[in-house]
Amino acid sequence: MTPAIAPPLLAIALEDVEKRYPNGTLANSGVSFTVAAGEIHALVGENGAGKSTVMKMLYGLERPTAGILRIHGRPVDFRHPGDAIAAGVGLVAQHLNLVPSLTVAENVVLGHEPRRAGGRLDRAAAAARVRALVEQSGLAVDPAATVASLPVGVRQRVEILKVLHRGARTLLLDEPTAVLTPPETATLFATLRQLAAAGRTILVITHKLDEVKALAGGVTVLCQGRVTGSARMAELDEGALSHLMVGGDLPPPPPRRTARTRPAPRVVARGLGYVDDDGAIRLRDVGFDVAPGEILGIAGVEGNGQDVLARLLSGAAIPGAGDARLDGRVFTGLSPRAVRAQGVAVVTEDRLHDGAAPTLSILDNLLATRYAHPPLSQRGLIDRGTARRWAQAVIDGFGVRAAGPHQPMGALSGGNMQKLILAREIADAPAFLVASQPTRGVDIAAASALHSRLAALRDQGAAILLISADLDELLALSDRIAVLYRGRIVARFAAGAVDAQTLGLHMTGLGPSVDGGDHDAVA
Amino acid sequence: MTPSREGARIALAVGAALALGFAVMACVSDHPWAAFRALLTGPLPSIERAADGRMVVHRLVRFGAWLQDATTLTLVGLAIAIPFRARQFSLGADGQLFMGALAAAAVSLGLGDTPTALPLAFLAAAAAGAGWGLVAGLLKTRFEANEIVTTLMLNVVAVQVYRLVVGRVLNDPTAGFITTPPLPEAATLAPLIARTTVTAMVLVAPAAVAAALFLLRRTTLGYEIDLAGANPWFAVRAGVPVARATALAFALSGAFAGLAGFHVSNALLKRLPVDLTPGIGLEGIVVALLARGRVGALPLAALGYAYLRVGAQAMERATDVPREVVLVIQALIILFVVSDRLAPLALGLMRRVRTNLGGRAA
Repeated sequence: MTPAIAPPLLAIALEDVEKRYPNGTLANSGVSFTVAAGEIHALVGENGAGKSTVMKMLYGLERPTAGILRIHGRPVDFRHPGDAIAAGVGLVAQHLNLVPSLTVAENVVLGHEPRRAGGRLDRAAAAARVRALVEQSGLAVDPAATVASLPVGVRQRVEILKVLHRGARTLLLDEPTAVLTPPETATLFATLRQLAAAGRTILVITHKLDEVKALAGGVTVLCQGRVTGSARMAELDEGALSHLMVGGDLPPPPPRRTARTRPAPRVVARGLGYVDDDGAIRLRDVGFDVAPGEILGIAGVEGNGQDVLARLLSGAAIPGAGDARLDGRVFTGLSPRAVRAQGVAVVTEDRLHDGAAPTLSILDNLLATRYAHPPLSQRGLIDRGTARRWAQAVIDGFGVRAAGPHQPMGALSGGNMQKLILAREIADAPAFLVASQPTRGVDIAAASALHSRLAALRDQGAAILLISADLDELLALSDRIAVLYRGRIVARFAAGAVDAQTLGLHMTGLGPSVDGGDHDAVA
Repeated sequence: MTPSREGARIALAVGAALALGFAVMACVSDHPWAAFRALLTGPLPSIERAADGRMVVHRLVRFGAWLQDATTLTLVGLAIAIPFRARQFSLGADGQLFMGALAAAAVSLGLGDTPTALPLAFLAAAAAGAGWGLVAGLLKTRFEANEIVTTLMLNVVAVQVYRLVVGRVLNDPTAGFITTPPLPEAATLAPLIARTTVTAMVLVAPAAVAAALFLLRRTTLGYEIDLAGANPWFAVRAGVPVARATALAFALSGAFAGLAGFHVSNALLKRLPVDLTPGIGLEGIVVALLARGRVGALPLAALGYAYLRVGAQAMERATDVPREVVLVIQALIILFVVSDRLAPLALGLMRRVRTNLGGRAA
């Protein structure tokens, strides 16, 4: 750019952008907003509101069907991400795309490697470059570390470094805090502020009110593909902001359990242990009780054994030691089908991987746990009429935004998908529900609806194990909270007696050990 | 994609392949138009007015060949398409067909001229094919043996078993070549159209498709197969017996290939020669591909593909164009049909050209 031309003030500008998918879905319509250079701008709205589509268009993954995108004042027509990268736009995806077996430096330069003669990777140059980048950006990462050995928060920093290495001046982040602990979130925010102060522009998708408050200089709210509000943060108070984000007032959080006496436990787990195929101990001597009408929360940084615990309790893996009983009967070590037959239901952690079949219809997804029994099937024949009516009732009853029972599951937003999954799992009034990350990546309104359902199930007398990385959720819903760290329960609390800060310390292994053995110390 | 769009897309693909094929013909033939006509009209009967003024239908044999070829192709197409619903690439239709034919012939010869010979031979063929398919299914679900490898190997075994049995056990020493004795009349199917081999099997094939559709759409097993194919990890977590459903998908597929074997033995040849040519089972892959894995579209795909095969024979016989050219066209059709994004691209291009022209005119 020649010095004669003043640098344009707006890093990102959308003018009446429309995106209509080939199947007719209107994902965005008349979307206009601007982000000033050096600003941190939050893009908020319910799931399915079209936020991710905006990101995809800005990164060249989708092309708008009408309207104009401008980057630094210049209209752009990105046909693929390469165009966006060339224009200085970088995307930090929600699901991190790193090669675990490579080092940080190798990951950062991947695709834009410094080469030696013969096309071989110049490792020294790569490490030097990344080190320079680390210093320049203030993102604390060891370039020589293997990615597999890093916690999620650090991996995300690597992802950001990767984007910066490609010369991005405009960073797009899609729900960056979804996988982070509170301390990691605080670090990320500091990093983002630093990047913005250095003149980079940041557009971030989030669901959380307090994150918008803490981070953003401006906010744009999308609802059903349209902009319903856009404001500078300075002009908003908290009430106005939450009203803007939710489009109304939030329902109050579900009331806590009211029972004073604690009945005999319904679920009793003792000494659960698991060693994976590589010989690593993933779970060690985990024990807990859950009473009927009680929610036991499991806190922990991802990868500390929560996934294994959920798999053991749902029949997806067989414990190497210990067992768990429901109403006195052992239900671990059985097949998933047998576990379910005993009254256990499961909301899996990764809904797209093993919680749903995205290519099949809503109806087929709802059937998965119930198709084998009347009234949905008789003597091997599925009653499609009954099934369809039930699916429609679920869609209506859970406020799912969908065209009908035959819409593919994958076309739904995360929040709507999660509502259907929970509906399926609680349809048979399970005695014990294992819910892993039930509101991950779900908007505020949907999360609140899911929480009410969990509370209602609890009030019916079910025992619930709530595994979540969202501490606010754990604190709001749980009666008691146990902290998993490196496959062990390192602390237990009554929910009223602990705050997020204390939990965070225990989650990172810094808290004093509170847990003596395999019994519940705190009632 | 809606069925009508999908139909337009496939028509476009076939048209493009034929156009390219014609270009190839023009290179190798002195009379490309005649060859092209022979290819496109070969399977159709011709109706002519004879000298005495009556209408006479000619070339019924080829018309019959078209229908019976489509029958076989529909059944082996089912044998490919059903495991595909469970995301399994079975190449085992050939072996299952040989086992089905062998079982049908053995039962027919064993029972002789009795009224039960026909239905029992029919069932034996389905059972033998299903059993052979189940072997591949169990190898996959019990031992995680890759189904592409096992089905191909099982094909080899089945063909050799077939040759052994036909040559040693069921051999007819009076025939002058190695073959089974002719099957008893009561066990074979009479032609529906004179001078052809078109039998009631031409109705069994669509009935088999309807049965398969019912099974896949309405039964719990069909649902399990679909779920296992769409997302096996999810299916397992939901408590669906994925291994059982997968193995049964193979067995089911084998039953239909076995029926194709019954068609070959008790309807077409009415005795089994030792040198029955393998390979028709692999043509089932082409049919399943043309139908885009949709069970309901199999009869149409089989009719279309059989038409081309019979047309190719007609062309080879009547003109100077070698059969290889037709193989090229067949390959082109498959390439065009499976290139998902090609037709939308072409349609989009056409639309843009049209809008541009329109814009200029206005």
